[in-house]
Amino acid sequence: MNRRTLLGGLFAAASVPALSACASGITSLDSQGSASGGGGSSKGGVTIGTANFTENQVLGYLYAATLQQAGVKVKVRPNLGTREIVIPALRSGDIDLLPEYQGALLNYLAPKDSSAEPGAMQNALTLAMPSGLQVLPYGQAADSDCFVVTRETARKYGLTTLADLAKQNGRLVIGAAPEVKKRRVGAIGLKDVYGVEFKEFKSLDSDGPLVKGALKKGDVDVANLFTTDTDIAANGWVVLSDPKNLVPSQHIVPLIADRKADDTVRKALARLGNVLTTAQLTQLNSQVDNDKKDPEDVANAYARQHGLT
Amino acid sequence: MYELLKNLGGWLTSGSQWTGPDGIAHRLAEHLQYSLLATLIAAAIGLPLGLLIGHTGKGAFVAINLASFGRALPTVGLVVLVFLAGGLSMLPVYVALVALAVPAIVTNTYAGMTAVDPDVRDAARGQGMRGHQVLFQVELPLALPLIMTGLRLALIQVVATATIAAYVSFGGLGRYVFDGLAQRDLVQVLGGAVLVAVIAVLLDLLLSTLQRFLFRHRTA
Amino acid sequence: MTIDWSWTGDHTDDLTSLTVSHLQAALTAVFFGLLISLPLAVVAHRIRPLRGFLLGFSNVLFTIPSIAIFVLLLPISGLTRTTTVIGLTVYTLVVLLRNTVEGLDSVPAKTKEAAKAMGTRPLRTLLTVEFPLALPVIMAGVRIATVMSISLVSVATYIGDGGLGQLFTDGFQRNFPTPVIVGVVLTILLAVVADALLAALQYALTPWKRRRV
Repeated sequence: MNRRTLLGGLFAAASVPALSACASGITSLDSQGSASGGGGSSKGGVTIGTANFTENQVLGYLYAATLQQAGVKVKVRPNLGTREIVIPALRSGDIDLLPEYQGALLNYLAPKDSSAEPGAMQNALTLAMPSGLQVLPYGQAADSDCFVVTRETARKYGLTTLADLAKQNGRLVIGAAPEVKKRRVGAIGLKDVYGVEFKEFKSLDSDGPLVKGALKKGDVDVANLFTTDTDIAANGWVVLSDPKNLVPSQHIVPLIADRKADDTVRKALARLGNVLTTAQLTQLNSQVDNDKKDPEDVANAYARQHGLT
Repeated sequence: MYELLKNLGGWLTSGSQWTGPDGIAHRLAEHLQYSLLATLIAAAIGLPLGLLIGHTGKGAFVAINLASFGRALPTVGLVVLVFLAGGLSMLPVYVALVALAVPAIVTNTYAGMTAVDPDVRDAARGQGMRGHQVLFQVELPLALPLIMTGLRLALIQVVATATIAAYVSFGGLGRYVFDGLAQRDLVQVLGGAVLVAVIAVLLDLLLSTLQRFLFRHRTA
Repeated sequence: MTIDWSWTGDHTDDLTSLTVSHLQAALTAVFFGLLISLPLAVVAHRIRPLRGFLLGFSNVLFTIPSIAIFVLLLPISGLTRTTTVIGLTVYTLVVLLRNTVEGLDSVPAKTKEAAKAMGTRPLRTLLTVEFPLALPVIMAGVRIATVMSISLVSVATYIGDGGLGQLFTDGFQRNFPTPVIVGVVLTILLAVVADALLAALQYALTPWKRRRV
């Protein structure tokens, strides 16, 4: 890691408590921008990649709308795959910018790191960042992994927390995306932190039709979904609480290649991060999943409505 | 590359990798089950159709163009379409695999039938054989080599394509390929791919041996 | 399951660009497939011991699931069009190589001897006598390879490419049949049209064959 990115990262981290204290704005943005400015250039255009689930595509197009307004040429490559696939593509230059999630990204880059609070995580992320990449200040919107069961299952086994799952060891089937089998926020962490052992891990998808369909049909007892999915409330599913904080804070954070990170990009994305709330993001996801609107249209409409364009 | 192959060796030979619901033995059995059942269903549809077209000479246009149409069908699209129409079951997978296999079987069966010397057919009729006797005692045995070629081709394609079952949450060796993609675990992907290729080649060898046996039996 | 026609109307631009990108991937793969197959076929045709090896090898490649080939190429060519094209090219080889070898085999020995007797050099014989006579069989292979590639492009949607295949994953993730139906129909149309055009090209290139067709 070079000195500039480290410095930039520390400034980014410093700006963050201010954000969580007052959700209205990142006050130290300008100083941060100028402190680490001049690193990269977005002049040649920025390619935004997104992972293989709805929300990430919505975020990708939101980044695109915001950057375009700032005069940056953008290209979106939706639905590229999992974090395990997309981050190597960012490093190799196939894409330049990625909407990421603090906790999940930190687990990927530094699995042993136990930071839990957003500011500490941002610091840890900056330290764990591979050379050539950096995280920009995180936004106020957050989306966490969660583990849900149907109301019937919750009643039948007396489940309210993740810890309760351990009482049914060897009896329950969990459904999640294939990568979750090897992730800490997933089969591994549930075992390490809560001592949960499932009868079977079913490889399904990321908060998609397979995992939700399987939960409805009873093919799986526990499903890994995202907190920003309106289907959870709509179906009356029970989100198991996480008393030991296995699932870290998951504020949305732009992960970008140093070569493209200039002031224009920083400012534009920080502005979006400041405006977009979790509730709004949840609504945008629902418009795509349930109303079958294009993620691109949904993102553009939001950007227009909130003065981002 | 060397590293990948070395790890593949470890993956294939570790005992724990072979047992349990996600073990190679179980996945292999699932894969064989999907492939053989799909090919059997396809044969049950394709063989009578090809024989009928070849025997009556009607619908030759269909038989010839079906192969091209079958090759054009995007398997992923078909699986998703049937999934959206009928919900989560093995049906989408079987529909797609059967759709892939039927054209190869029909076209080759038809080709085998047209390759039968018309003089032989006439001679059989001249001897007073009825239509179905000509079909089963003269045409079918003569068309057998090409029919078997069609079945082999269909089976190979089905074995390679049955990987798709994993996309809609089912098992088979495709599980390793799709899970390996999601986890960027290339050893797992390579392991799955190698196993698929090995069983495709083995099944093909088995069928070609069977074909040679049947063929020798007929001409002896 | 119904089609949302307004979606189709609103997405003509997207559909056009996906179709173009789809066709581009398939045709590039066939082009490179030919570039590799033609010389290899000459080798397989001339050097008998290599023939079985080359044809057998291309057959084995065909048994590897296409999705696995795309994934295994990721460390080499990443999430790019190159990965898609290399993967598809591998699949065209089995058809193109076999048909080209068979085409060359089908040239009567007497024709080649006549060319030799007239003092034509081997390379010239190959280009002006053997390839033209083998053309119908080669073109049959090109048609099969093209149709097959067009149907296979969509598998690359799992690595973020795949042309019209993106409509399949999109429709799947959102439980939305319209893009899937449109994608399937367009893929088949593309294949049928490409096949017909290649058939016309074959007809134009082989005037001496016309009476038999």
